[in-house]
Amino acid sequence: MEETAGDPKLNRREFIVRSIRVTAFLGLGGLAVLVAEKSGSGETVWQLDPSKCIQCGRCATNCVLAHSAVRCTHVYAMCGYCDLCGGYFKPGTKTLNTAAENQLCPTNAIKRKFVEDPFFEYTIDEPLCIGCGKCVKGCGAFGNGSLQLQVRQNICVHCNQCSIARSCPAEAFSRVPAKKPYLLKQITLEGPKSGG
Amino acid sequence: MKQKRYLVTALVFLSAGILFMLWDMFFSHPEPGVNPYAYDMKAIRSADTLLAKYREVQQIKPVLTSIHGLAVDRSDRIYIAGDGGVELYNREGKRESAFRIGGSARCIHVDKDGLIYLGMEDHLEIYNHQGIRVNQWKSCAPEAIITSIAVTTDDIYIADAGNKIVYRYDHSGKLIRKIGEKDPRDSVPGFVVPSPWFDLATDPGGALWVVNPGRHLLEKFSREGAILGSWGKATMAVDGFCGCCNPSHFALLSDGSFVTSEKAIERVKIYSPKGEFRFLVATPESFTEGTRGLDLAVDSRDRILVLDPERNQVRIFVPKQ
Repeated sequence: MEETAGDPKLNRREFIVRSIRVTAFLGLGGLAVLVAEKSGSGETVWQLDPSKCIQCGRCATNCVLAHSAVRCTHVYAMCGYCDLCGGYFKPGTKTLNTAAENQLCPTNAIKRKFVEDPFFEYTIDEPLCIGCGKCVKGCGAFGNGSLQLQVRQNICVHCNQCSIARSCPAEAFSRVPAKKPYLLKQITLEGPKSGG
Repeated sequence: MKQKRYLVTALVFLSAGILFMLWDMFFSHPEPGVNPYAYDMKAIRSADTLLAKYREVQQIKPVLTSIHGLAVDRSDRIYIAGDGGVELYNREGKRESAFRIGGSARCIHVDKDGLIYLGMEDHLEIYNHQGIRVNQWKSCAPEAIITSIAVTTDDIYIADAGNKIVYRYDHSGKLIRKIGEKDPRDSVPGFVVPSPWFDLATDPGGALWVVNPGRHLLEKFSREGAILGSWGKATMAVDGFCGCCNPSHFALLSDGSFVTSEKAIERVKIYSPKGEFRFLVATPESFTEGTRGLDLAVDSRDRILVLDPERNQVRIFVPKQ
């Protein structure tokens, strides 16, 4: 059978050349994607999902830092500004005041300030917070769940393998985009799933 | 020989140091599962069972799968309202009838004539005993969430958790006045309603009682909206109301005593007409943790009916012998 001009059939040389071109193109494309990811657009950091957190206390004890990078964050939009705050007061508190023995936080890291009758504002003194989650448990059980634990990215040393994530029984830790490093529960129309 | 002794001693100290470091690294951590910062909810939820003076005698399991409201009429018929329908049971708990509704009823009230009032999110719908809608009112207000209804001979009271207000209507649907608006001149402190549970009822004397949940109070109002009194205290102890906002529901016994239900620490209690704690009807152990919306009703025999949305049941309690 004779070859004619315009015959689409490739000879061996042309096939090899085209294959090399395609391979080089794919390789360069892959490299570009890799470089783009490394240059920051795909960078990730460790964060914990408050909707999975069970307040086991390991965030306070299992971080490689002596003072854990996990701290309490207050989502003010969710807060009820309650007088009887489940995240602030110990159960059995008789008088609702700021006496040390009434406070649930083991380091007194939550500050209570009168706003107007009957509302009180609660702020976290972050350097005092150890990330134990005790207030988070109380707020979730008796309030709207506005107190939530988060890895503070300015404190975290960004270990490849986070030692808290490794021991987290709720598997609440995951890598999230560095551009959106916080995962906070927000208020929903249905209201909180628990609480008082 | 002396040098050898020094070497052995040094090796012993070195080994001891290494062993201590190994122990410190691998064995000195707290046991898995032991939380040094534990918040013991079980201890808080465990109640003194000696305070429980009622026992559960019956459960009614409705066909509806999402239930929100409970009422009892003069003949002790039991009405259960929820998503898409209302079910009627006789006093023995046998299903008598049911009818469908176009939406979700958050609350229900049955008047002396047997008319059924349903709080349909932002408006009221009225049905007769056959399940035929006889009236539908317009929306109470933008963003209204109707959470409770009480009907007297002259008035219809509606609690709106969305706008934190009580409306007094006449039977034609005309708004007569708003009750509970914050007014320092009349010493009305205003309702604090952080979550959509906001209950009201009228007592045997016809006075209006409204829960002020954020203040942990039950407040008594005149028809004109003047506050006549209040009782309640914020505490996690059994004699008060816990959490951000409680009680979530209440009902009145024939002697004017109050039956209250709470969320967070799920419990049903009885208070005297003056607001003094008497005893528990149901302890927190009786409910699934996280249950909310324990609507209450009392029948002519003072049996206490508790709507348990988590178990999808109406549970009936009577005094222990």
